[in-house]
This record gives sequence, structure tokens and C-alpha cells, in this order.
Amino acid sequence: MSKVWTIYRKELLDILRDRRTIISMVVIPIVLFPAMTIGFSALVSMQLKKSQAEIQKISVDGAENFPELLDRLEKAKELEVAPSTDYRLAITQKKLSAAIVIPDSADLKIQSGDSAEIDVYFDAAEVKSEFAKDKVLKILSEFADSIIAKRLETLGAKPEMLRPLPIKSHNIASEEKMSGFVLAIFLPYMIIILTMIGATYPAIDLTAGEKERGTLETILASPASRFDIAAGKFLTIFTASIITALLSVTSLTATIGLGIASFAEMGQSPIAFRMQPLAFVVLVILMIPVSCLFSSVLMTISLFAKSYKEAQSYITPAMFVVILPAMVSFIPGVELDFKLSIVPIVNVSLVAKEALMGNFRWGYLVSVFLSTALLASIAVFVAKRQFEREEVLFRI
Amino acid sequence: MIRAEAITKLFHDKKRGEIVAVNKLSFACKSGMILGVLGLNGAGKTTALRILATLLKPSSGTAFINNIDVVKYPDKAKAQIGFISSDTGLYRRLTPREIVGYFGELYGISRQESAIRLKEYSEILGMDDFLDTKVDKLSTGQKQKVSITRTMLHNPPILIMDEPTAGLDIVASAHIVELIRRAKSQNRAIIFSTHIMHEAQRLCDEILIIHNGMATRNGTIEKLRMETGIEDLDQIFLDSVGDLD
Ligand SMILES: Nc1ncnc2c1ncn2[C@@H]1O[C@H](COP(=O)(O)OP(=O)(O)O)[C@@H](O)[C@H]1O
Ligand SMILES: [Mg+2]
Repeated sequence: MSKVWTIYRKELLDILRDRRTIISMVVIPIVLFPAMTIGFSALVSMQLKKSQAEIQKISVDGAENFPELLDRLEKAKELEVAPSTDYRLAITQKKLSAAIVIPDSADLKIQSGDSAEIDVYFDAAEVKSEFAKDKVLKILSEFADSIIAKRLETLGAKPEMLRPLPIKSHNIASEEKMSGFVLAIFLPYMIIILTMIGATYPAIDLTAGEKERGTLETILASPASRFDIAAGKFLTIFTASIITALLSVTSLTATIGLGIASFAEMGQSPIAFRMQPLAFVVLVILMIPVSCLFSSVLMTISLFAKSYKEAQSYITPAMFVVILPAMVSFIPGVELDFKLSIVPIVNVSLVAKEALMGNFRWGYLVSVFLSTALLASIAVFVAKRQFEREEVLFRI
Repeated sequence: MIRAEAITKLFHDKKRGEIVAVNKLSFACKSGMILGVLGLNGAGKTTALRILATLLKPSSGTAFINNIDVVKYPDKAKAQIGFISSDTGLYRRLTPREIVGYFGELYGISRQESAIRLKEYSEILGMDDFLDTKVDKLSTGQKQKVSITRTMLHNPPILIMDEPTAGLDIVASAHIVELIRRAKSQNRAIIFSTHIMHEAQRLCDEILIIHNGMATRNGTIEKLRMETGIEDLDQIFLDSVGDLD
């Protein structure tokens, strides 16, 4: 056992002196979340401010059919009515944000108590155009309301006649749940992938890398048993992976806590993001078997390879086996049930998503933890067996 | 004392099928003796020496290192062996001092003791200048000195060296030759493989020529000369590998 400790200390020192390990284990997990959230929210709010502040050009076709409506549109601060012959083309060319078409004798129809259909043209794929459309619709519906009010007045009726059941909906989702929602969708994925990346580099370096540099034979010829060597290396890879996981969860929590994250900010009301401390603890505990699993699988794969390059060529496809199920948290409506709670990676992704939203279903948490731990133990056992196989250690 | 008793090693290769890398090989090397293993590429030298060093398990037969069975007690046997080959590299990101400390711990040598031995070897080989420089930055010759120290650290009575001079320049090979001579004078049993004839002729007390995994000649150079009636070792070798017309 003391030899395992000796090997572990040496391997850790060895990989910590490598810039590549430091980058994948420390720098990326710490920097990624703040950078992503700052970058993303800066981009979003910049776009928003730009589109909101800008005066949108619209054209009004058939304006003479309804001067009162034209008047309202022209008075709107953020809109500018511009003439246009081909409004469809103008919208696609971004010369116009939206266009309104008023049918013939619309104002006469309205005066006689009839209705007049107004067409609004816009480009839903353009943020600016969306904004213009929203403003136009708002003006139109306010105008329609004023018409209704006048009509009711002439009939001697109250406006409430038309709204017998005014409805007001109340969102009871806790702040954690609301704030965590957007993040909860993709953060489990990020953490799972980072935990894997944290294990990848040391796994290759300590196995295939050692074969390439000839140091594997040196250690195999020493009195350390194959078990000592396997255990020392596994613990080193596991340490790197769990540190990556810890740093990414911490960085994520800090990012949220400091309120840098403002995906839902949308320019006006900044929603303070908060994550329950319990979610942090749950995520960390959950990542232990996940790290174990990744470390042993990656160690097994790279031990088989003869060189760094060969190991990478095996691991790249293996990444997808993890990336795809980890993405399950992106799919709306996929809920954790007992069956899914024993599907590797999918279960972790889903249960982490729930935890981030402040929803802790302990039965499922235990089942996810235990099934992952079981799988990890099998993987550790397989990895240990590989270290006893000459055809793997001395593959030519 | 090294003793191999009918060691055989089979490899299963997908393309080539079953390979008999070493075929019922028996030989011995006493303390204070140097046994040179000669053979063409692929003759089975590395495989045979790896079996002695417990890196590979023989398919049949066994070997004894100071009467310890390498198959039954590999960890005990390893403690008696200093193993060096062209494949035994050093950790590039560690310094010679750290490497020696590490292997010292694995061999169960106390910290003070391994520091003393490092000092000894550092004086003999002249390593003082680079004991705390990362291996990455060392020259081939300097690395070789560190490797020698690593091999001799636990004062092994048995030395197993697989083509230790392969790929080395003259200076670095000279260190190895010196190591072998010194080890002999210290009454260790030394076995080393090479395909450089004059190296074997210069150093060895006995020669083992292997071909296709089998021993074709074994004995002192005198004995081989008598057996073959050939004077030149190069010619003896070619004769023994069936390449002489
Ligand atoms: N791990 C292995 N798997 C399959 N074949 C091997 C392995 N190691 C060696 N061999 C084969 O065994 C034979 C002897 O090789 P080796 O002992 O390396 O010879 P030498 O060291 O004399 O050049 C060769 O044919 C080689 O290809
Ligand atoms: Mg060889």
C-alpha cells in the first residue's frame, strides 16, 4: 500500500509539471463559465440595447384609407414611417423593419361598425424586425381598444361586458427554479464533459505516453507490483478529474452567485441567479463516481494504445459516447424516471438538471449514484485487469 | 547467479499467428561473470531478458535469480535485479534527484541511504552539475548516467541489460561499458544482449548465440572457436545463425 502512495505522489507531481494538465484541469474549468456567461450576456444585452434604441423604419401601404391610424403610427416614438414601393424586398434587404397594409376604405368600415383586416409584414428571423412588429401590434391593439371603447359607449355598455373573466396568472416557481432553469439545461452537460476532459490528458500521459517515452518498462521492472502501479495511476487520474469537476462546479456556483450570469436579464430587470448550497453538495457527490468511471475507462483505453496519438484516436470516438447522452438535459420534457435513472450519463445529466433547479428527489439521486458507482467499480476492475495483461502492456 | 531452465515464450499475433519467440532456452551466468547474448533482430533476445526480469511470464519453463523462481516470486526476484534496456526511459519532468528518490522508495531504501548512494554515483559518474535539472534538458550521456544510477541504486547482485548501448553515442556507450566492468569486479552476475560483435568479444566471459528463439551456441569464446573451428567471432556468429555459405 505504501508503494501505491509513493507512485501516486510521483505521478501527481509529474502531471502537475505539465502545462497541458494545468490547462485542462485548472484553467479551463475556472475560466470557462464566467467567460461564457459574461460573453453571452454581453452579446445578448448589446444586441437588445441596439435594437431597442434604434428607430425602426416601417412602411404603411394604403395610408390614405385610414388617416387616423397613420397618425397614431407616425406619433409613435420608436417608429418612422417611410415610403416604400416594394415592402417585401425592402424588409429582406433590411431597409425596412416591418410593413403595414391597410385595405381600401378601412376608416369607413370602422365608422360603420364593421372590421378591417390589417396585414403586418415582418421577418421573424431578424431581431429588429421582431421588435418593430411587436411595437406595431401594440399600437394596433391599443387603437382597436379605443375603437371598442367608443362603440360600447354608443351602445351604453361598460368595457367589462367584454371581459367577464379577467385572468391573471401567477408563477409560483421559486427564484432558484426560475433562475436555474436556463442554466440547468446545459450546465450538467458542461460539467460532465469537463470532468471527462480533466481525466483524458493524465490518462493518456500516464499510460500510452509512458509507453512512448519508455518509462512504463522502467516502472514495471521495479519492485512495485502491477496492482501498485495501476492503483497509483488510477488515483492520479481520478484526482485530476475530480479536481476538474470540483473547480467547474465551484466556478459555476461563483459565477451564478456573483450574478454575472444574466441570461434572462433581457435588458430590463436583472434577475439575480441563486443556486442552493445543497445543489453544490449534490453535484460534487454525484461527480465522484462519474470521475471514477471516466478515469478507469480512459485509463483502460489509453493503456491499450502504444502512443499518445493512437490513444487520442481511440478516445475521440469514445467522447461521443458520453457527449450524446449528456446532452439529454437539452431535450425539453425528458423527465427522470426509474428506468432513466439507471441509464449511465443520461441519469447524471437529468438528476443534475433537477438539482440545479432546486428539485431534489432523493430516491432518484440514490439510484443514480449507486448505478454509476456500480458501473465505475466494474470499470476500475477492468482497468486493473489490463495492467496484468502482457499483450496490453507490451503490445507491438 | 542467473539460471534459465527451458524457457519458452509464445505470442499470439493476429496477422502472424502463433510466434515462438523463445524456444526451450536454457543457460546460466554465475556471479562475477558476464554473459553476452547475441542474435539477429527478432531472435528473441528482448523476450528472453524480459522473462528474466519478470516483465513477461514464460509460456513454459522458468528462470531463477539467486535461486528465486521468477514465475512464482516475481516481486522478490525484482529486488535482486538491476534492469536497463534501450526502452527503460526516465521521467522527463522530474530531476535526477527526484527520480533516484522515487526508485529508492520503491526499493524500500531509506531516504538517507538513497541520498548517500546518489552522492556516491554522482561522484563516480560526475553528475553534480545536473542533479536538479529536469531530465528533459539533459544530454543523452547525462541521461545515461542517471539511468545507470537508477539501475544500481538498490545494489542488485544481478544485472540484466538489453542492448544497453543501442542508439547511444560513443561517450554514452563508454559509460555503459564502464558500468559493466565495474559490476563484474563487484562480483555481480551480468547478462547483456547486443548485436555488436566486438562489444561482446571485449567484455564477455561467455557467449550465448540465439537464433529463432533457440540457443545455437553457448560457452566461452575459446569453446566456440573449438566447436566451430573458426577463429573470428563474426564468422562464428554467421555460422551459428546458418547464414554462412
Ligand atoms: N509483445 C509481442 N507480441 C507479439 N510478438 C512479439 C512480441 N514481442 C516480441 N514478439 C516477436 O517475438 C520475436 C522475438 O522478438 P524479440 O525478443 O524482440 O527479439 P530481439 O530482441 O532479439 O530482436 C519477434 O518475432 C517479435 O516480433
Ligand atoms: Mg530486442
